Amino acid sequence: MKFLRLLLATVALALALGSTVHAEYGDVVINNYSDAAGMRPVVFPHWFHRVRFRCKVCHADLGFQFKAGGNEINMLKIIDGQFCGACHNGEIAWSVENCNLCHSGKPNTGTHVHESTLQKLAAPAHAASAAAQAPARK
Amino acid sequence: MRKLLISFLMTAAIPAFMADALAQDAKVSPKSIYDSTCSACHGPGILGAPKFGDAAQWAPRAKAGIDALVKSAVAGTTKGMPPKGGRMDLSDAQLRGVIEYMMAGGAPAASTAKAPAASTAPAAKAAVVASPPAPATKPAAPAAVAQPVATAAPGAVAAAPNPPLTPEVNAFNRLLKPLGKFNRPAVESGIHDPANDMTLQLQPPAAAFAQLPKSMAGNHVDWVKALDGKAIAPRWDRNDPAAAAIVMDLNIVREVKGSMPDVVYPHKQHTEWLDCSNCHPAIFIPQKGANQISMASILLGQKCGVCHGKVAFPVSECRLCHSRKKAVAASAGEAKP
Repeated sequence: MKFLRLLLATVALALALGSTVHAEYGDVVINNYSDAAGMRPVVFPHWFHRVRFRCKVCHADLGFQFKAGGNEINMLKIIDGQFCGACHNGEIAWSVENCNLCHSGKPNTGTHVHESTLQKLAAPAHAASAAAQAPARK
Repeated sequence: MRKLLISFLMTAAIPAFMADALAQDAKVSPKSIYDSTCSACHGPGILGAPKFGDAAQWAPRAKAGIDALVKSAVAGTTKGMPPKGGRMDLSDAQLRGVIEYMMAGGAPAASTAKAPAASTAPAAKAAVVASPPAPATKPAAPAAVAQPVATAAPGAVAAAPNPPLTPEVNAFNRLLKPLGKFNRPAVESGIHDPANDMTLQLQPPAAAFAQLPKSMAGNHVDWVKALDGKAIAPRWDRNDPAAAAIVMDLNIVREVKGSMPDVVYPHKQHTEWLDCSNCHPAIFIPQKGANQISMASILLGQKCGVCHGKVAFPVSECRLCHSRKKAVAASAGEAKP
């Protein structure tokens, strides 16, 4: 009986932990300045943009580097029409008033590409889930 | 169906049993932990385990302090003690309690507080012993009241003072993402803040992908097929929906070492998405033989790995690149007597 209870507790915990690491392949967390400024980090969903634009639009025309956190994006540049602001201006896509649609990440989540090969190599699943948990526990 | 049943069982069972289990935790004494687990080795002294109450065996180990002993117990030892003695549910505080219990040989002198208080009265000691799991009992109350599993489970996670890193050590494919755990909505993603008011407004990937051709990895969408079949119509120009891509149809064959099929690199599929300047000349020098490419560099996010393994299909899909059978290797094999 005791063992069964233990097992159930373990399973429940596994489910609870497991439920925290299901972000979509290619989601980028950008936390260059957000945490320090008291905002949630930005989560950029590659998949959502890929349905609507070819890679070339952002990565050639708008000058986004192929590196998470490699573009020193800030709100000033965005309202001046650079980077995200080239589309998120109320004409092509919704504009910057919707702060929390982008700034929707868990506080203290570091800049990274979710589920990148490197991330998978460097940290086995359990360590990754623990790392994902760590900011939440802070 | 099974999933439904399980989730139903979980919903029904968790609030009640969680509270039960947590209440149980609060009651678990070092003695009962010792009796149920540690005594198997620390009783008879199997594999050199320091025996229960044997001061001579414990003393040299206790020299570095109780914290070092707890640390060693958490990590397990090379001599054969599994991490936490196989009881991954135990907190550090509980381990400390049971170590002190074993060192003292069951004498009611030990305290679970950091500073050993030798003269603690038995009554006070009971209070101290009960205190480590106390943080666990606090959230147990709301968990017990709340019926939906969604509120009970985070309560339980927050309650565990030291959640085990590998909850299911022997689970099948424990390092892989289980089926049905992809394309989940943002609120379950683990990187979105569920407390953020707009997280719920974000489109769930599964809704966007419903009409798109499937693949086995990455987003579980075959993006190339989706574009070819016009299931999606991503713009080539930010402003002009009618602008067409400048497509170049040129295959580059790269002969590779060993028995792996050669790589056929299709410019066509790449130029439908990308501009020449995205890859040339920064990532690939546009000259035959000028680029050293290895799987190691790709895994580290260089060359093809700048996109493949981050946003384009991941490196698990070997045959999508290694697609041309080696005619030479086959004939060499046949030529052997």
